[in-house]
Amino acid sequence: MTALDGVRPGADGLQGAWRSGPARLALVLGGMILLVAAFRILTDFGVFPESWNIGLADPIDRARRWLITNQNSHWLYTVFLNPLTDTMDWAIRRLESLLRWFPWYCYPLFTGLGLWWTRGRLAGALGLAGVALIGVIGLWNEAFATLALMGVAVLVSMAIGIPLGIAAWRSDAVARITRPTLDTMQTMPGFVYLIPFVLLFGFGRVPAMISTVIFALAPVVRLTEVGLRTVPQSTVEASEMFGATERQTLRLVRLPQARPAIFAGMNQTTMLAMSMVVIAAFIGAGGLGQVVLQAMRSINVGKASEAGIAIVIMAIILDRFSTGVATADPGDDLPAIRWLAAVTAVGAVAGGVLGLNEFPKALGWRFAPYVNSLTDWARDNLYDIGGSGIGTGPFSDFVTTQLVIPLRELLSSGIPWPAMIGIGVVLGLWARGPRLAVGIGAALAAIGLLGMWELSMDTLAQVLLAVAATLAVGVPVGIMSSHNDLLRTALRPVLDFFQTIPSFVLLVPVITLFHVGRIPGIIASVVYALPAAVHYTDLGLRRVPVETHEAAESFGATRAQRLRQVEMPLAAPELMVAVNQVIMLILAMVVIAGLVGGGGLGLEAVRGLRRSDAVGRGFEAGIAIVLLAAILDRLTRAVADRLRPPAAV
Amino acid sequence: MMDTAMDASSEASRVRVEGVWKVFGRRAAEAREMAEAGAGREEIREAVGSVVAVRDVSFQVSPGETFVVMGLSGSGKSTLVRCVSHLIEPTEGTVEVCGTELTQADSATLRDLRRRKMAMVFQHFGLFPHRTVVDNVAYGLEVQGVDRRERQERARELLETVGLEGWGDHHPQQLSGGMQQRVGLARALAVDPEVLFFDEPFSALDPLIRRDMQDELIELQMRLRRTLVFITHDFVEALKLADRIAIMNDGAFVQVGTPVEILTDPADDYVRAFTQDAPVVKVLQACSVMRPLEGTEVDHGWPKVSETTPLEAVLPHLLGSTEPVLVCDEQEAPVGLLHADEVAGVISPDRR
Repeated sequence: MTALDGVRPGADGLQGAWRSGPARLALVLGGMILLVAAFRILTDFGVFPESWNIGLADPIDRARRWLITNQNSHWLYTVFLNPLTDTMDWAIRRLESLLRWFPWYCYPLFTGLGLWWTRGRLAGALGLAGVALIGVIGLWNEAFATLALMGVAVLVSMAIGIPLGIAAWRSDAVARITRPTLDTMQTMPGFVYLIPFVLLFGFGRVPAMISTVIFALAPVVRLTEVGLRTVPQSTVEASEMFGATERQTLRLVRLPQARPAIFAGMNQTTMLAMSMVVIAAFIGAGGLGQVVLQAMRSINVGKASEAGIAIVIMAIILDRFSTGVATADPGDDLPAIRWLAAVTAVGAVAGGVLGLNEFPKALGWRFAPYVNSLTDWARDNLYDIGGSGIGTGPFSDFVTTQLVIPLRELLSSGIPWPAMIGIGVVLGLWARGPRLAVGIGAALAAIGLLGMWELSMDTLAQVLLAVAATLAVGVPVGIMSSHNDLLRTALRPVLDFFQTIPSFVLLVPVITLFHVGRIPGIIASVVYALPAAVHYTDLGLRRVPVETHEAAESFGATRAQRLRQVEMPLAAPELMVAVNQVIMLILAMVVIAGLVGGGGLGLEAVRGLRRSDAVGRGFEAGIAIVLLAAILDRLTRAVADRLRPPAAV
Repeated sequence: MMDTAMDASSEASRVRVEGVWKVFGRRAAEAREMAEAGAGREEIREAVGSVVAVRDVSFQVSPGETFVVMGLSGSGKSTLVRCVSHLIEPTEGTVEVCGTELTQADSATLRDLRRRKMAMVFQHFGLFPHRTVVDNVAYGLEVQGVDRRERQERARELLETVGLEGWGDHHPQQLSGGMQQRVGLARALAVDPEVLFFDEPFSALDPLIRRDMQDELIELQMRLRRTLVFITHDFVEALKLADRIAIMNDGAFVQVGTPVEILTDPADDYVRAFTQDAPVVKVLQACSVMRPLEGTEVDHGWPKVSETTPLEAVLPHLLGSTEPVLVCDEQEAPVGLLHADEVAGVISPDRR
């Protein structure tokens, strides 16, 4: 550990004193306990005082009312926003009607052929069956509504993102603006993007699409820039030496070599758009998300699982297709695929002319009733198995009463609010320095002033519990997987599958078992974040150079010693990145879980989206979520940086 | 290759470099002043924070000449070749290629010159991984706007020249290192340049492959007679390929001369250190040590060797008799003489 502990020669003064080893951390923790004790004994501070609320909600509500009444008269709308809305809406409707003009049967066929081309026969067959299943369970229309909205959102994201990525690569000034902006955009839970756009545009597909574009934009911009920056200088020099113009070099050398990175960006953007389009059902995006949302509100688990499965099918097909398209190698099957595609194309036009666009009702089959009876069975039989006190019900109750509520109480009122802010400041000071400390202090104070102290602490308690549970399961599995290639190969498809599922859909199976409340939200977020925990732990440990393993072994270290003394310290920064990712994913999920009774900031935000008189409170909750996300993100990243060994000189 | 070097002064030079400086970092003028006062690179870097990579280099290369710049890593040789090919702007000095002054040229002129007159072969090949071998070779022509069929045809011809026929539709990364550099060479030759720059082209290759490539380059140069500026850190390679060698250290030329001059009359201990271990008899060829005939009477009974015979194969003839050895060109016509005492002067370590 010496490499990580030593006081760096350059860091002196206050910051230097804070930046030394675990002994100091013990000192810091001791200081915190003293701080809390002092506040508890000397004062009667508890919850952040209500009277200090700066009252942001009222002006926002007033603004909302003003916007509604002026929607058809004010120049902001007549000149700018309404034409924008109309154009976007027109584009979405055009795309949808174009997609729906073609006959139903060409979609499973084209999907099957596309996946056959990119990924082989099995994928093709599964793709064909998957698309057909969406029609079979009667969600054809909804699926196309979602697809059209997504299609326009993805196209707009590419149209903005790729040129923006090129601009950021070309000009450091642009990059200096885009990079931190994109960083911030990516740390925010997608859900909070909905709030400002609903305020400005009201409900509908256009605000849904705009928030989707903003949420999904970051990867394509970032990876376009990265792709262009990592083009080997030697190839650029070679091109220049042949007298290529700047434009020729970009078109013939830089962009083609950046293509794999740009494709990866497009894939990630598509997947983010998919998950956001589903969440955007909250503000009237319609489509499959709407079906899930309504079914969950009425606790119709069967209906929700049908729509959920349709969403998962769409997501997986889009993911597999867009990751495979760059490396497609169908080999000997290519002629067959081409031939079948030509026949299908002819059939598609013919069917379109004949108007065979509706999915035939005769092929319908619903599994919602079976799921509902399974849910009923689970509620009757698993909730409290044989009256023994063992089951999902008592488990929920136990976790709620013994862990969630006590932790919430401790954070919101057990620790006096000034002490809580003090703890944040001390942690920031320890992890990075005065700037972060001040930032955290200010953010916590702002949460209090917004009147969101209790709700934020409720959310924080849920996040902390979910993080603890995720790491308790994910890190050991990651360690095992890093030492065992067989396990890793077995886990990969499972992890891939879970990472493709839009967050919102994960709530469906969980409420089947655990009904509503805080526990399903926590469990869903654990499931949601688990793949990241396993993946990053595995990755971090595998990055430890083989030579250091061998060195440790040559000194006769046991496996446990090797893990504890060599691998874990060397992988510590990566593990901290894993913690960071897990926290961000969990926060996003806990917020969405407000929908199924998760409480906290999420519930307030959901309410703000649903009722126009609660927009102000929802907005405040949204800001609190952003602040909480920023605090947790910066703090964990600062700790990760601290753990990195000093860079080579 | 000797003959072209001899009449270098009589013809206009293809490459003329005059007082070139390259300083990385700010305060270039101060750094230059310190360098002129004799300060070393480290000293300057500590004092003003900038690096003097090339200091006051001048040279000329005649048509058909192979000019090799040899230096260890960090000597500034790569920076120098980039200044000459104008991939980077020299801080000071003039560079002239084929009669055009690059330091004055606007970007269109420079581009045109690059399209028609010069080409470069790179250390790590600089091949385009997203293009097939034939499209790599055709790149220069594509940039010029030559239509697809014509440029593909020309590219395939050149692949044949470098011994890669049948590999055109592969991607460069599917080829071995030696083959990749053949692609790099074919790509440079495809635009039919007058001047070719080589930036350590063979240093990334295995020793055996490196030797093959050197031999092939010599053979190619005999046929094509282009003007070559060749950068290397390998003294033996320099001896083998060069008409003239410039030894570079700390950004400046220490000595410029023919391989024989360098071996027999090293300018200082730095150059001498290189000559000590050089396998002279393997590297030097008859033509680089011989005394040109210039009308001397010859006896056709003397042993004969070709111009490219290495000295080690000539030695048995010289040791076996007191007669000189006759050096003949490809048409078997005598062009020079090798005398035992002169050869001894070149290969004896005491004399170096």
